[in-house]
Amino acid sequence: MSALFDESQLRCLAALLDTLIPPDDFPGAWQAGVGDYLLRQLQGDLANLQTSYRDFLRCLDAEARCLHKRDFADLSADARSDLLHRIEKQQVTASWTIEPGEFFAQVIEHCGEGFYSDPGNGGNREGIAWQMVGFEVRG
Amino acid sequence: MSDYDAIVVGSGAGGGVAAAVLAQAGKSVLLLERGRALSFEQVGRDHLRNQRLAIYGHNAGPDIEGNPRTLDPASFPMPVGERQGEQRILRPHEPGYQNNAACVGSGTRVYAGQAWRFMPQDFRMASEYGVPAGSSLADWPISYADLLPYYERVEWEIGVCGDHRSMTHLPAYARPYPMPALPLPHKSNVHRRGLDALGWQGLRVPRLINSLPYNGRPACINCQHCVGYACPVDAKNGSHNTTIPRALQSGNCSLRTEVMVERLMCSAGGAVAGVQLITADGLRESISADVVVLSCGAVETARLLLNSATAQEPGGIGNGSDQVGRHLQGHYYPGAVGLFPEQLYDGVGPGCSLATCEFNHGNAGLIGGGMLTDEDIVTPITFWKRDYPPDVPRWGLAAKQFMRNNFRRINDIKGPVQEIPNPDARVQVNPAVRDRYGIPVAHLSGTSHPETVRTASFMRERAIEWLRASGAIKVWGRQPQQYLSGGQHQAGTCRMDEDPAHSVVDNFCRVHSQSNLFVADASPHVTNGGFNPVETIMALAWRTTEHIVANW
Repeated sequence: MSALFDESQLRCLAALLDTLIPPDDFPGAWQAGVGDYLLRQLQGDLANLQTSYRDFLRCLDAEARCLHKRDFADLSADARSDLLHRIEKQQVTASWTIEPGEFFAQVIEHCGEGFYSDPGNGGNREGIAWQMVGFEVRG
Repeated sequence: MSDYDAIVVGSGAGGGVAAAVLAQAGKSVLLLERGRALSFEQVGRDHLRNQRLAIYGHNAGPDIEGNPRTLDPASFPMPVGERQGEQRILRPHEPGYQNNAACVGSGTRVYAGQAWRFMPQDFRMASEYGVPAGSSLADWPISYADLLPYYERVEWEIGVCGDHRSMTHLPAYARPYPMPALPLPHKSNVHRRGLDALGWQGLRVPRLINSLPYNGRPACINCQHCVGYACPVDAKNGSHNTTIPRALQSGNCSLRTEVMVERLMCSAGGAVAGVQLITADGLRESISADVVVLSCGAVETARLLLNSATAQEPGGIGNGSDQVGRHLQGHYYPGAVGLFPEQLYDGVGPGCSLATCEFNHGNAGLIGGGMLTDEDIVTPITFWKRDYPPDVPRWGLAAKQFMRNNFRRINDIKGPVQEIPNPDARVQVNPAVRDRYGIPVAHLSGTSHPETVRTASFMRERAIEWLRASGAIKVWGRQPQQYLSGGQHQAGTCRMDEDPAHSVVDNFCRVHSQSNLFVADASPHVTNGGFNPVETIMALAWRTTEHIVANW
């Protein structure tokens, strides 16, 4: 749990991040700690985006319910991916209180930061993303 | 009786040399630094906040709050910072700010330490090429030969590794480097293939790094965090571990950190009396000295001169000809990224090791050119933010797999372009916006000269050619645009010449209007070479300070 998001928002966030960097034989974004990175940044450098994130997650769920009658987190991986592609192209059906494509572009950046930057920033748990790409820190 | 013989403002490449030469000559020196002394642990290895990738801040200062600058929106193609009326307000980590590190050693604490001499032609660009319309291109008042003895001193006393025999673009070296070049990583063998195929001369990048134990400190351990970070074994030679310790060990130098010089104090009759500074607690102090040396970097040195206006010089010290702050330049860094069929990455740092100077001069229809080189090891997030190919999906399984499959198969080639100075690319002061000390901030305006963009486009094509000849199967990289350049290689804002009508400092970097005020950073550079400028900054500071001591 987090003070920033309620349970359903967190579920939506996890599904969103795992659609951006999905699990394969290496962990996806959520298991790799991108959520921890983000929760930390939203109380730090990105504190001004707390409301925008909540809005985005709420609208994302509304969009999923509009199209599929289910929460975003309950969609299949392919359906989540399709939906995000539509958002990227500003093709939305629900009534959005935040500019969808523009904010989505920021979420992509934050997700990459959490996954690929140093574990000291809260994500990339145990350097798993570095193991994946082959960035070894010696010395 | 003054408090000190000399005050040096700023402890970077130039200020460190100035403090050491003065103190070792027996002068009492006060060295002032706005930032803190930073340990290896304090610099840290934050991949999102460093001098290479500063998404959320810097690891070597300045603090992102309390140190704003303002920018003319026309100077930068992107909407950076916060728009406020006809200007943008920038924090130090935002694009367009032209940041230099604020800590003991300044940029030398975290730099790559590429140790290039400028070429003889770089000192006479106007004579070589003529002066294009709209530019203030001019020759330096001094030559390569004038700086040569000081280049050698930097190489030996601060410590450069390299292979002098490979430097065939320069007159033959009288003294080799004191240390051999760093070991070549595997990728250099691949890039060597390209140079050979093209018939381009390759050379080993000289660096201010110990390839062998030197000056009481160990050799490089080939780690993966060189440029943008501090060295884990102290093998990287900067002001913080060479010139400043020597100045302090002489017993003649005091270092004060976290103090900001607000203005120069002037006495009547064309001499400065000292400086007025503000401490971290907000206390003002006036400190007198017989000589003052400014080493604040091209933006902050100009800002300090402009903020020191007097009744005699109402436009700022040394600004009688409206030259202070003009001709701001740095380096465009055109280049490209290549994807190779084989793995290039072997983890052997620092990484940047092979270069070519085929295109620094003699390019038909162009004014000057630049050096091209491979790159220090790039962290995964820097690759993802800066070098990711524009036609590959940025999210989803394909994006993850692109990173996974290709991070070790990618390298970039790029290099600094010799910029053609524009008098309208400038630093002014903005009394409407103040820093945390209440001092008017630097206001930046103007852009690069179109000739700079043209040369940058040409150099980008050469980088692509080199990558392809080395075997790259896919190549990408942005086309250069016009914007205000400066950055860590900032230069030109206190132009050096014997004629005060067109310059700020004389042939020994003394401010024309003051008998005892000198500049020891890249501000006096008339042009900035097609190379990383730090060895020239150090050499010029050495020459200037030796002149001060000889004429005391």
